[in-house]
Parts: sequence; C-alpha cells; structure tokens
Amino acid sequence: MRAIPTLKISISGVRGVVGQSLTPKLLTRFAQAFGTHAGPGTIVIGRDPRTSGEMVKHAVVAGILSTGNRVIDIGVCPVPTVQLQVRNRRAQGGIAITASHNPAEWNALKFIGPSGLFLNAAQARELLDIYHQGEYTKVGGAELRTVDEIEGATDLHIKSILDALGPLPRTRRKLRVVLDSCNGAGSLVGPKLIEALGAEVIPLNVTPDGSFPRPAEPLPENLVELCRMVQEHQADAGFAQDMDADRLAIVSEKGEPIGEDYTLVLASLYVLSHEKGPVVANLSTTSALVDVAKKFDCPVFTTKIGEVNVTDGMQQQQAVIGGEGNGGVIYPRINFARDSLVGIALVLHLLAESGKSVTELLESVPRYHIVKEKIACPSDRIAGVLRTVRQEFAKFPLDTRDGVKVILPDCWLLVRGSNTEPIVRVIAEAKTEARAREMVSALMARIV
Amino acid sequence: MKPLKIGITGVRGIVGETFTPELAVDFAESFGTYLDRGRILVCRDTRPSGPMIRSAVLAGLLAAGCEVIDLGVCPTPSMQLAVQSLKADGGIAITAGHNPWQWNALKFVRSDGLYLNPTQGEELLDIFHQGEFAKASWNEIKQLVQKGDAIEEHINVLHRSFAVETIRAKKLTVAVDCCNGACSFLSPKWLAFLGCEVLAVNDNPSAPFPHAPEPKPETMAQLRAVVKAGRAAIGFAHDADGERLGIVTDLGEPLSEEMTLAIAADIRLRKKRGTVVTNVSTSSAVDMIAAYRGGKVVRVPVGQAYISEGLSEYDGVLGGEGSGGITVPEVHLTHDSAAAIGLVLEHLAETGDRISDLVAQLPRLTTLKHNVVVEPHRLYSVMQEFRVAVEQDGLEVDSTDGIKVTLPAGWIHVRASNTESMIRIIVESDQKTAAQELLDWARDRIKR
Repeated sequence: MRAIPTLKISISGVRGVVGQSLTPKLLTRFAQAFGTHAGPGTIVIGRDPRTSGEMVKHAVVAGILSTGNRVIDIGVCPVPTVQLQVRNRRAQGGIAITASHNPAEWNALKFIGPSGLFLNAAQARELLDIYHQGEYTKVGGAELRTVDEIEGATDLHIKSILDALGPLPRTRRKLRVVLDSCNGAGSLVGPKLIEALGAEVIPLNVTPDGSFPRPAEPLPENLVELCRMVQEHQADAGFAQDMDADRLAIVSEKGEPIGEDYTLVLASLYVLSHEKGPVVANLSTTSALVDVAKKFDCPVFTTKIGEVNVTDGMQQQQAVIGGEGNGGVIYPRINFARDSLVGIALVLHLLAESGKSVTELLESVPRYHIVKEKIACPSDRIAGVLRTVRQEFAKFPLDTRDGVKVILPDCWLLVRGSNTEPIVRVIAEAKTEARAREMVSALMARIV
Repeated sequence: MKPLKIGITGVRGIVGETFTPELAVDFAESFGTYLDRGRILVCRDTRPSGPMIRSAVLAGLLAAGCEVIDLGVCPTPSMQLAVQSLKADGGIAITAGHNPWQWNALKFVRSDGLYLNPTQGEELLDIFHQGEFAKASWNEIKQLVQKGDAIEEHINVLHRSFAVETIRAKKLTVAVDCCNGACSFLSPKWLAFLGCEVLAVNDNPSAPFPHAPEPKPETMAQLRAVVKAGRAAIGFAHDADGERLGIVTDLGEPLSEEMTLAIAADIRLRKKRGTVVTNVSTSSAVDMIAAYRGGKVVRVPVGQAYISEGLSEYDGVLGGEGSGGITVPEVHLTHDSAAAIGLVLEHLAETGDRISDLVAQLPRLTTLKHNVVVEPHRLYSVMQEFRVAVEQDGLEVDSTDGIKVTLPAGWIHVRASNTESMIRIIVESDQKTAAQELLDWARDRIKR
C-alpha cells in the first residue's frame, strides 16, 4: 500500500499538509529557490486566512530575505490582489500562500512572475531545478533587505476595478446580492467592492479566521445556504467565492446555482457587448461561450487546461476576456489573473445595464449540460487509455493538446489524465444532461 | 572553512555564508520541541539580518506548535525578565552580542529567564541533530502575538532595585553610546527616568553599527569626546544587546572593559560583603578588591550560564566577567548593562564621589588579550598540544575552563572561544613588560 500523499511538488507550486510534510524548512528552501530565480528585487507576498498562514508566511519571508530580495507583505488578501500588486509595482515576482480549494489542513505556495502571471511551465521547471540543486543565492550584511507590511492592497484592487468599469448604472431599484466568501480571502474585500459599485450586499461567511464553513470549492452542492439566503432576502443574485477568491460561482435570483461554467459566459456577455475581440478559454470550457462570442462576431481560441496556459494564450491573441469553466474569469484590462472580484463586477454591470434577471439572461444563451466523471487509473496506463479513445473516435475531429477531446456533431467529449491523482477524468457536454451522461457512460465502458 | 559555531551556548555564524534561514528554522523547531510547545518569547537586536532570522525563528516555533510572543527589538535582558513576568517556558534572543554586524546568533533562555546550562544545551543539540521535531497540525497551530512593552517592564524592575530618588536628586549629566543597538530603546529612557541629563550618541536603531559593538577603549573615542564636551559625570558604552558595559570617566578616560567589574565589585562590596562570581579569565583586580573590602571571589568557567549558576550556588552579591558583563542579583541573575548603570549611578549619587576618584584607588594591572585564529578542525588539537607543552615545563594547570597557569610574574589563560574559531590568550601582570613576556611565552607554545 502506498501512503496517502501529503506533499505535491510540481510546476504549479508546492502543496502539502501542515504538521506533516509541509515543514517550515521545506517552505524556506522553496522561497530561497524562488528568490534565487526571481531576484534581486522586490517580491510581493499575500496569503489566505488559513490557520497555518502565519507560519508559512514567516518561513517564506526568511527564505526570500536571505537571497537579498525585499519583501512586500500585503497580508490576507485574494490571490489576484497579489498578482495585481506584482504587476502594478513592477515587482520581480510574488508568492501567494494558499491551498485554494483544498481542505483546512493543506497549504501551498503559488509562484508569480514579474508580470503578475503565474510561472509558466518552463519557468516553473527552472525553479524546481534550483530547488533540487540546493544552491541558493546567499547575501549578508548590508545587502540584506527588509520586510514592508503594506495595508490597503485590497483597496487598490477595488480602485482598479472601479477605474476600469465605473460604478453601476442607475437601476429602478438598487441591486441586492448575497455574497458567500467561505470565510476566505475575499471576506473583507468582497462586500466592500459590491458596496463601492453601488449595490446592496448581504454577507455570508465573511469571517476570515481560518475556519471552513463549507467545502471551499464553489460547487452547487456546497452552496445550499447561499441559495436559501438568496431566496429569503429576495436577492438579485448570489455570489460564491473559494478560499483564495480566484473562482466565482453564481446563484440565480430563484436560488438556483447556474453552474460554474456560466460565470465566464455571463462575464463575456457583458465584455463583448462593449468591446469586440478574441476570447480565450481552456478546451474544457462550455460551448455556450462559443455561441455567445459568435453572437458578437468574436473568435474563441482554446488552450490547454491551467490558468497560466489561458493567460499565455490571452496575451498571444490579445484577448479581451478569457478564463476557465471552473468559475475563473480573467479580464486583462484589470488583471491577468482569475479574479472573482472582477467576475462579480462584470456580472453586476451586466444585470444593471440589461435590466434583466440572471434567469432571463441565461435564457438568451444556449444551455448545455456538462457531466464529469473520474475513473481510477494507474499513471502507466493513462497513455493506453488515450490511445484507445483516439482509435475509437478516429473518424471525428480530435484535439490532442491536453488528453483527447472528441468533437461530435451534437456534443464534445474530453478524456485526460489528472496531474495530481492516479485517475482519468471523463467530461462530456451536450444539449441535454441525458445525452451527456450517455456519452460518458459509453466512453467509460470502452476504456475500462 | 567558514565560521559557524553550533554549541551548548547556541548557534552563531555569518549570515550570507554559514548561518542560513534553514539552520535558524531547524534550531527554532528543536527548541520548540525541547520546551514541549510552550510559550516562547522572541527578541532581536538591530543587525541587518535580524528580520530574516526573526522570520525563520517564528516559522520554526509556530510549526512546532508553540505560543509565540514577539517582543521585537529589545535588549536580551529585557526579554529574560519578560520570560519570568509572562510565565513563559523560554525565549530566543536573536543577537550576536559583541560580534561584528555580519554575524548573528540564537541564544536560548529557559523558564527562569537564564540561559540553558551546559546539560540543557546538550539536550537541545541532541534534538537538533536527531532532526525529529514536534509538528503542529492546522488546528493546533497558534497565532503569533506581538508585544511592545518589554523595555517599560524592564525599567519597572530596575526601579525597584535602586535608590532612584537619590539618583534623581543629583541630576547627573551622563553620556551614553548605544552603538545603534537594542539599548537605543532602553538606555536613554532609563537614564532619563533616573533624572539624568542624557547625552546620547548612536541611539538610532535603524542605522548601522558605528563601530564594533564591543565596549572597549578602542571603540569609545566618540563617547570620550561627548563626555568631555558635555562635562558629563560619566559615559557608558553598550554592546548590541545590552549585556556588556564600558565606562568613560569624568576626565574622559576610556577604561578597559576589565575595569567595569572592578568598579562594580568595589561599589558592591562596600555596601554588602559577600561573594563575587567571575570567570577564570577575568582580571585579578577583583581578588585584590575583594580582599581589601572583605569579600570573596569564586571563579567559574567562561560564559553567562556559569556565572548565573555560581551566583545561585554561592548566594553571590555580584557576578561579572572581564568582557564588561555585569550581573546584579537583585535585578536578575544575568548580565544586564542597565542594571550595571543603576549600580554605578547610585554610588555616585549616594557618595558624591567622582568616578575618576574611585578608579584612581583601584589596582591597575596590565591585561593583554590576544586571539589566535585556528582552522576549526584543529581548534581542540591545538589546545591539547598546548597543555602537553605546559605540563612538560612542570607547571600546574587549572583546568576550570581551558588552561590557566599561574607564574610568579602573573597568570596566563588560554582557551578555545565558545563563539568563534579561535584561541583566546589572556595574560595579566602588575608590570607591563612582564605581561608582554607572558604573552610571548604562551604564543610560543601554541603551534597552529
């Protein structure tokens, strides 16, 4: 029997369980490696409110300082706030201390490059090499820099959003929304933003004390309380953030989760009605996005899965909006990052400007249903599974950049191995849930 | 080989070379494990590596599950008093005391505010070497507490130990050089509290050390000028963390650091006959003073932990070392330059004596100190070879600490430094030429 892994070091950062594998020495070394890779210059750090956050922060600060970099500590804040600060301050990089949707015992470091984007695969591999080689830049004496604790980074974040989008246009009655921040990094800044835009906010789970009132992923099954509150307060919408406030899920005025995929669809509906340009999303994103873009005569480009792949694609295509189907909205006029605050502002603007309800807006775009399943599969057998899928669907258009995506006339299918677990994920999207489920079952039967 | 000393007195090295953040993290985790996750105080002096080492120490202690109270920049004795008043289980002082600014060190304090004794130091080292540390899980980890009043509390304790009103009545003019160290926060405040007119120099804790943080005549030129220009009754010179004290007389004479204990002993034994505890390396002037005043002297190995234990064992009235470290037992059983200041000023105020008159009556011996730098891997072999050479000459060796030989012309003490890779030679005689001959005799027998 293999032990249950409590540490994951990969090109997307280092993740582990506090009190087990995520030790301060490991964290300090990673910060030294990052300081060696990035420096010399300024490194911005921020964290989510997990109980281990302070320990992890100090381990990181020690490591960065020892390499001769200056540290700007912006405290507890959303990951996109760290990215925005890196970009605005022209810093050498940043470290976001958060295990996003992982449970409370986890924490992680996410590494941000000089432009505010996460390190891409090549940069991350360089960082890992430095970490493993163990030879870090060491400075002493007068070359050592200090830590500056800066307050108000989230206020600047709100200001950049207001500068880009402005306050909400006048509506017949003030918009009212319920915000569920999961006691996470969005707890303090989320309600402030909504009020600054000119809407009324009813807060839920906005005590950033490291407790998890619900599982952190904003999936429909985790939003029962939010749905109830939306109905109770007759709100126009409900917003749910995850622990690090990069992803956003929406609940309609009827108290029904609209599905994470539709966050980016609604945000694009607003953006594309104001500025035309390319849309970039990962290849697992709903076809509804393509339909919306078509309505505005805008092209959609897809990328491999992973935030950094999407942002790289957005830069190449000079996209006006982009993101991921998991509720990650990226709006480059503000920030090259998945940003739930930006998502909230775009959707509120859409509601105010159109005068329509969330349900009415969704009726104007085609509805698709996504079904996701996973099958246990040892990593050495994943390639075989993918080959089977390619052979089975050889007569249809295939996209093999990230697993295998099969484009059928009335639906699409995606099969890919997980980067983090010994499983294969099977995803299908069709006009009806029955059709999507049928495709997933058929496919699973063939590869098992 | 590069300088690093890990021993029973803690860990000490040059930041940017051997003293890395990982090492500080490991030692903090070891100490947190040793004290079974108790309440631990942390303080630091003003070295540029202070913030980096502080973060590493905080991360290690928090990860081990300790309740950590950070006192910020303050003298080590202020922290030692706070350990008692806050009923802490221990403390870590981040300071390399009198070492140059490129150095830093961790010094470990136990629940009675005193340094770990050699046995305890060995136990801590065993945990460090085993590398198995206590690890707090996410729901055991504690939040860091910041506390900024350790210096006020220190002054409160000093207040109770000296005749403050008598000193205040004299309105003495006192010069002080804080070396931009941790005493910048304490000493001018304490002197003002005593009603003195304070002429402070180098009292900016954010500026670099203006000279070596060792209160020796060669570092006291500026203080001497201030004493003369300001017609001060006395001048005091501090090290970086408030343990050692140097004195400039009202005539502007910078005294050898050996004289601090001689002055303190003379003052103390006039009022209270008893035992003075000092180390084997300290000037014989203290023996002559004790004989004259009817007191006794007990000699222990070099190091504060031994002085503290000696004072407890013999119920001593004063402790001190030739380095300028003075312990006034009424305040606490550890070196405290602010307490030494209180002792001296109380005497000047009560008697109306001038410090130069007091000094004129004290025996003046010639003490020569010489360091021989030795490669770390040869340090103890060189000592052993010296012992053999001395014994071949048929001389009797006192091996309380290192090798002490008493000859008709004076004495010679040779020992390996606890903190650096060097052999320290100290010789003393009542005649200058004889002292030089003793030093040459010892140097001839040390074969690097």
